[in-house]
Amino acid sequence: MNYFIDNGYTSLNKKGEELCGDRVECRTNGDYLTAVLCDGMGSGVKANILATLSSKILCTMLSAGVPLRDCIETLIASLPVCKVRNVAYATFSVCHIKRDGTGELLEFDNPGAILLRDGDALDFSRTKTEICGKTVYITELALKENDAIVITSDGVEHAGIGMLMNFGWERNQIKDYLRRSVKRGMSARSISATLAGECNELYMNEPGDDTTVLAVKVKKPEPTAVFVGPPMHKSDDKAYVAEFMALPGKKVVCGGTSSQIVARELGKEVTTSFDFPDRDVPPIGYIDGIDLTTEGVITIRRVLELSERYLDPWDVGGKSFTKRDGATLLSKLLFEDSTELEFFVGQSVNEAHKGLPIETTMKLKLIDKLAENLKKMGKSVKIRYY
Amino acid sequence: MILKVCVGSSCHLKGSYDVIDKFKSLIESEKLGDKIDLRACFCLNRCSDGVAVKADDTYILNVNGQNAEEKFRNEILPLLG
Repeated sequence: MNYFIDNGYTSLNKKGEELCGDRVECRTNGDYLTAVLCDGMGSGVKANILATLSSKILCTMLSAGVPLRDCIETLIASLPVCKVRNVAYATFSVCHIKRDGTGELLEFDNPGAILLRDGDALDFSRTKTEICGKTVYITELALKENDAIVITSDGVEHAGIGMLMNFGWERNQIKDYLRRSVKRGMSARSISATLAGECNELYMNEPGDDTTVLAVKVKKPEPTAVFVGPPMHKSDDKAYVAEFMALPGKKVVCGGTSSQIVARELGKEVTTSFDFPDRDVPPIGYIDGIDLTTEGVITIRRVLELSERYLDPWDVGGKSFTKRDGATLLSKLLFEDSTELEFFVGQSVNEAHKGLPIETTMKLKLIDKLAENLKKMGKSVKIRYY
Repeated sequence: MILKVCVGSSCHLKGSYDVIDKFKSLIESEKLGDKIDLRACFCLNRCSDGVAVKADDTYILNVNGQNAEEKFRNEILPLLG
């Protein structure tokens, strides 16, 4: 079976540093995803350069199928040598995984990755190998649906040292935390933000080290179709709604007029919720057979804002969706639950919206930007205009 | 009476939230809870004259937070008969 390989990371910078000395690089090549986490020696600019170089070199070469030995030779030859310590050094963890869940995990000097499977947090049984004088641990991966790999920099294990924890956050405690906190439906980004957020708590908001969590999760493909905006020609309503409903997966309708069109064609009624969980976002509606019904352009503008936060690796709080307003519900459905999206975008112009910040051109731009961000999340996105 | 307040994009920007809030408290203070069923709805197709309100089959247009009470007393209450 071909799965969706979901990936995402969250970073905390060492207190007072503008640059992170940890670096994540991800690349998809054909059926393979290559995700690399490097931790550069030291912190700040120097560490950032080491980690950036290492992660770029490793990710580019490994995703192109170059053997690990050659990659490491290139790496050693390329890294600038530190004047203070007289060595050039960055750790790495690489997850090279195919869409069927098989692949390999390569680890050098980072904390061992943790496997999340069926509610448990486990170690990988790694094989030790010497490559170019470096001890690299190799694991053959055979992941199944809903398995996740959690890769961390040592900032996670150092969390709270000398503050809340005498010896930092021990591996068993980290695993316990993951068992307790990671819920089955969570995305890779959400898992990474949960663990990094806890580190930030242990550091009492002042991380003593760069801290990065990279998660890779094997998900079943989940398609969702979004109907937004009435078709240009009323005579097309019937055909488009029929096409929309015939698609597999979840269905979302955005917009007051759109929801009336869909309901009418389905022979159902739209009812509207009376709750304003957030007074800046209009309430949601309900149509029998549709998974989520919301207002249109105001909600989508908010979803776009939330997508920026969701994509930002330094935004620890932007990966959980607990509020009940239309924009939060739609964001959760699009970012967390869906892997393939198809937008049905109607271009009919509502004369009454002219001059207001909700006119049709505005809506089209917002949807374009949102589609870009959804692609950055690794999802496939199709847009049809009519 | 079913009293619907539009919460579509246009009306939302013109203050549906305030109108609903006003109507809610008026219905409560006048003890009309058993006579008026207040609801929200998407787009009443009167986007240019929002906030649009519909009392059974009668449209009441250009409502906003400021005139909500006046509209309620002068235009909606008489419809209760």
